[in-house]
Amino acid sequence: MTLGRYTELPHLADANAGIEAVWASVSRNEGSYRVLPDGRCDIILRFALNALPLRELTPIVTGPTTGYCDVPLEPGAAFVGVRLRPGHFQRILGLEPIRLHGDALIGAAVLGQWPDMAALCVPASDQQELAGRLVRFVRKRDAESDFEVAPLGRNIISALHASGGRLRIAELAAMHGVSERTARRVLLRATGLTPKAFAAIIQFHRALRLLRDHHLSPADAAFEAGFADQSHMTRVFRRLGGFSPARLPEVTLVTISD
Amino acid sequence: MAVRFGYTILYVPDVPATVSFYEAAFGLKRRFVHESSLYAEMETGVTALAFASETMAELNGLAVRANRRSDLAAGFEIALVCSAPHEAYEKAVSAGASPVKPPEEKPSGQVVGYVRDLNGCLVELCSATPA
Repeated sequence: MTLGRYTELPHLADANAGIEAVWASVSRNEGSYRVLPDGRCDIILRFALNALPLRELTPIVTGPTTGYCDVPLEPGAAFVGVRLRPGHFQRILGLEPIRLHGDALIGAAVLGQWPDMAALCVPASDQQELAGRLVRFVRKRDAESDFEVAPLGRNIISALHASGGRLRIAELAAMHGVSERTARRVLLRATGLTPKAFAAIIQFHRALRLLRDHHLSPADAAFEAGFADQSHMTRVFRRLGGFSPARLPEVTLVTISD
Repeated sequence: MAVRFGYTILYVPDVPATVSFYEAAFGLKRRFVHESSLYAEMETGVTALAFASETMAELNGLAVRANRRSDLAAGFEIALVCSAPHEAYEKAVSAGASPVKPPEEKPSGQVVGYVRDLNGCLVELCSATPA
């Protein structure tokens, strides 16, 4: 597994417009890039970084996933993308995220669904221009959208995130004064994932951070992240990331911004 | 090794809204609000009462149970010493604090009342501890 070089452009993130991160990635070698499930949806432009101006841009819209996938890459394969904050997908793209669950639309399928994305795909002088184009596109869509992100959905997502994915739906419902059924529906509509799947993804990412950034031992990380035991954490890592906690690959973890 | 109490941070869903609420309901003044709106401190003397966004908890690799008005209050309280606790209580409730227990005089002579803030955190409104 060869990982593309992934960079975020933090100055372009715009939480108010639902843009959690703007990122660029370039593959130096042939190989594949492991994309971990992160509960997010991205709008991506793929192109070959071989000659300027950048041409033959392919738009990609990814839906929420519950497992990892390996994207095959050729040398020079490059991407610029915006990651939409959970809950903002429908406001920006006018589509419930569950309709893209475990799926991605590529090229003509994207343009069929969102013809105005054709303007994103005209030749560009560099990746910065593409990043700016994507941000303006999302901001315009945000400004013109009549779909409001419900405060209840935002609060439930925030509480689940703050808990590191450790709160069950029954607790989330109780603490927000709504029925379990309502909380489940709100979360599913906002993220395209079941509460259990979304919580597992958040817990997985937190455990990864505890291991990689906090340098905790696997036993300590499993405890702090709220797994029953270390082998439980190992099973979740294998299922969601395809690797073991003892041998972490160089993975990309989402940056969270408000 | 010397240790002193530095500050208390409450993780809240909306930092600017919480700062405004503490100003309106309790008459505290803001000391500092970061431009990101992720962190703020109130003017509370030597130590600070601070608010940080729930996102900040996650950014710092922490996991917390979020404070919510409709949830059971977490097991801590913020005590604010007031010159007139009854008046402070009325003001807090009229600014949107949830009433919990109107101020009453304890056998010690201290007057103590309780409200919950906009996020559901327990706030005690009390007179100074009698000497």
